[in-house]
Amino acid sequence: MRERIASHFDPFVIPFLVGMAFVLGYCLIAMIRVIAQLPKEDRKRFLVSLITPKYLWMDVRDIFLNCLIHVKLWKRNRVLGYMHSSIAFGWFMIIVLGHLEVMLFVPERIHLFYYPIFFNYFVAETEQTIQGSLLMFLMDFFLLMILSGIALAVIKRFASRIVGMRRTTRLSLLDRVGLYSLWAIFPLRLLAESFTAHISGGSFLTIPTNWIFRQFLGNDLNALPTWWAYSIALGVFMCVLPFTRYMHIPAEMLLIPMRNAGIRIRHSRKGFALLEVYSCPACGVCIDACPMSVQKANCKDCTVYLNRQLRRGNERRIEEISDKCLLCGKCTAVCQVGVQGPELRIAQRERRKYALSPSFADINVRPMASAVVHGAGGESGGVLYFAGCMTQLTPSIRKATTSLLDKAGVRWQMMDPDGGLCCGRPLMMAGRTEQARELIAKNLEIIRASGCDTLLLSCPICYKVFKEEYPLDDIRVVHHSVFFQELVASGKLQVQKEEGLKLVWHDPCELGRGCGIYDEPRAALAAAGEVVEAAKHHTESICCGGSLGSLTLSFDQRRPMVQNALDNLTAADPAEIVTGCPLCLSTFVRQADRPVRDIAEVLDSRC
Amino acid sequence: MVNRTPVIAVIGAGIAGLEAARQLKDLGYKPVLIEKAPVVGGHVAEWNRLFPDLSPAADLVQSLSKGAGSVKTYTDTEIASMGRLKDGYSLILGNGETLLCDAVLFATGFHLFDASKKEEYGYGIYDRVITNRDLEQWFNNRHDPRVANPKAVGFVHCVGSRDVKAGNTQCSKVCCITAIKQAIEIKEEFPEAEVYCFYMDLRLFGKKYEDFYIKAQRDYGIHFIRGRVSEVGEAIDGRVVVKAEDTLNGKPIKVTLDLLVLMAGIVCNPDAQHYAREIGVAVDEDGFLRSRDNVSSIVESSRPGVFYAGACTGAKTIPETLAEARSAALTIHQYFNKRK
Repeated sequence: MRERIASHFDPFVIPFLVGMAFVLGYCLIAMIRVIAQLPKEDRKRFLVSLITPKYLWMDVRDIFLNCLIHVKLWKRNRVLGYMHSSIAFGWFMIIVLGHLEVMLFVPERIHLFYYPIFFNYFVAETEQTIQGSLLMFLMDFFLLMILSGIALAVIKRFASRIVGMRRTTRLSLLDRVGLYSLWAIFPLRLLAESFTAHISGGSFLTIPTNWIFRQFLGNDLNALPTWWAYSIALGVFMCVLPFTRYMHIPAEMLLIPMRNAGIRIRHSRKGFALLEVYSCPACGVCIDACPMSVQKANCKDCTVYLNRQLRRGNERRIEEISDKCLLCGKCTAVCQVGVQGPELRIAQRERRKYALSPSFADINVRPMASAVVHGAGGESGGVLYFAGCMTQLTPSIRKATTSLLDKAGVRWQMMDPDGGLCCGRPLMMAGRTEQARELIAKNLEIIRASGCDTLLLSCPICYKVFKEEYPLDDIRVVHHSVFFQELVASGKLQVQKEEGLKLVWHDPCELGRGCGIYDEPRAALAAAGEVVEAAKHHTESICCGGSLGSLTLSFDQRRPMVQNALDNLTAADPAEIVTGCPLCLSTFVRQADRPVRDIAEVLDSRC
Repeated sequence: MVNRTPVIAVIGAGIAGLEAARQLKDLGYKPVLIEKAPVVGGHVAEWNRLFPDLSPAADLVQSLSKGAGSVKTYTDTEIASMGRLKDGYSLILGNGETLLCDAVLFATGFHLFDASKKEEYGYGIYDRVITNRDLEQWFNNRHDPRVANPKAVGFVHCVGSRDVKAGNTQCSKVCCITAIKQAIEIKEEFPEAEVYCFYMDLRLFGKKYEDFYIKAQRDYGIHFIRGRVSEVGEAIDGRVVVKAEDTLNGKPIKVTLDLLVLMAGIVCNPDAQHYAREIGVAVDEDGFLRSRDNVSSIVESSRPGVFYAGACTGAKTIPETLAEARSAALTIHQYFNKRK
């Protein structure tokens, strides 16, 4: 081992140092800003989580698995998973190994930032020693790994279909600069190390390339310019990084601990929302996933473009994208980083100022409260069934649900036999949280008056808001699909099974992705027939297209989305489509080529 | 072609088809009527009396079918496929026969909107909810347990018409006046009953329609409530509870009824669309067949030798349909004169 450069410095490291200083400074300031923007209690919660061993372990594990290994992406698409983890993990290992080399061979230079990066230029090491040959082998191994990832990235950029993506994001100019400089870094490193391999040593990759080059290049004059180019590529990449999609690399490392600490979006543009926007890698997986993308005109309304417009501050487009979305949550389900597209959009909707904001605080709910007190007949406990507005418009569901309750001998009464108040979820989706809270307070009065122990909902839209926003503590909130599954399992409902009757379950967005209920309805349906799956199901289920979430989509625009969702459901040619949401039901019925029924109707007709 | 009597396939033996076939026969052509139902007369044959004079529908159907008596008629016969020839069309019928013809007249009519698609109105769910067609059938045969001496009856206008959610934005034209006619008939049948009509707006454009409407209010005391029905529920005794908004005084209203009649609207006939696609005839966005010109040549298609009569191009009243049938026959006559 010997040091080649007496001064331990060469001007070519300057571009790298400038880039490094800039990116570290920028990220530090950005991090402080994001943390400072959090509401006080959130900030405290986050900082406490950083010194709690349980959270700390979770953070380290998640950062390692998600940022370096890209586990979620592997599960989704192996080619893309390999591409990303080879670059991220390979690069990480090269940096780690570079530091290891410095620490082993020239520990006195560890304070020089650039030494681990340009180690082979400054230090000549032979592969004769065991540490030397092992480290050099590993260096070459990881470099090769990265190069294979870069090769895939180039292929992906020009032919995304080969790696299984139908559509990919259109890059902005700075994104392109970042992309090309990233592509350039590793081939340049290979060249630079190859040109110096006969002096500084190398391994299975760099020694043969060094030999090849020396066959036709008579001298070492190419070495220094290549190291310059390598350093410049690094410098350019780091200088543009904060303004490109590559900002997701540092942003995600902050996002993961914050999410683990339970921080939620509280402000449309500040704090956690800002962090989510910057964590978007603009990979474009959400474009293919978005139910609106069946029409090309809507492709630019996916979450990846919302994030881009939020970074650019294009208010007109932000509003358009935020209002159009169905809030089905599929983009979040497929997102590698977990950017919450629907929550980000709701936060944008909350910014709007309305000329008229009718108050619900003056509604007199005493008649409705006394009706449920009377209905309970002085007894506490029992089931309170809230049909909600959508079930009132699909009376077959209400009829089947009440019939099943009677058949199972459940003591129940209706909360809204004569129509009731809105559950508040549609207002929440529209970003009118304050008004939703007024309705929630009113509904709470009625529920508490009834003395029930179970609140039954046949609409997942209601279910989600009752579960998440109502402080009901000791009252169980349950969706009818789950409730009936329990009654079937316990034998209180005897369902006659028809062998060979193929039923497909449509996961409503609010029930599946919204509340994580997938298995109970399928189990209940299995008692009535043979459950088959749609082409895309569970977390990847496709929104029916009728969602209340969208404020601006017209019926004409929704029609192809409904058709797409139906085509997905009928992949296994089921006899019937079954769902647990009155809105999905009425949306599908209008366009389906086969019967569409609610799970309650299916069970009721067979017991 | 020159020496042979031209053959014209008339698809559908409703009132348009029957009248056109008679006219074509009188003009010296050889029309062939093809009807998928076992009897001729189409929707009118299912009706009891016709507005505004309450004349029996059976009389009209009888006189029209008598007029077309000597025309070769296939009933209970579907068309398996249609094809284009050099200067004519070929039809393969469901019974295996092939019909070669020189012109085709679409008299395929309409479909009545499936009221169960508007689930909030409860058709097929609640016993006391029926459609306009069910009521006409009751007038014809008096067999329907749902119509049992009602004390309160409601009519819902525009069910599946002018409704973007139901996929039909067009006005069905005839339901306003049909509802008034049926309301009057119900009132004549059950003088004690209270009768309500829930409407968006009343489109009473035809001869004597407005008088009919005034008569319904003045002489029969029928209540007209401007406002769409929002939802229909069922009371414990099986009666139906209708919620609507009276937009004239701006208040929500709730009435309990013994019978609710849904005025199912006129929507396109999917069979007609299918045949049209087979021989390359254009279909409009609303699903009805597209005329060469909506003002000057409504009975002509953009294909030579293909003509329309009646509700295959949109909702029509009976007089309009009959006039169109005659017009189509004359247009076909001119078409063959030019080809000579």
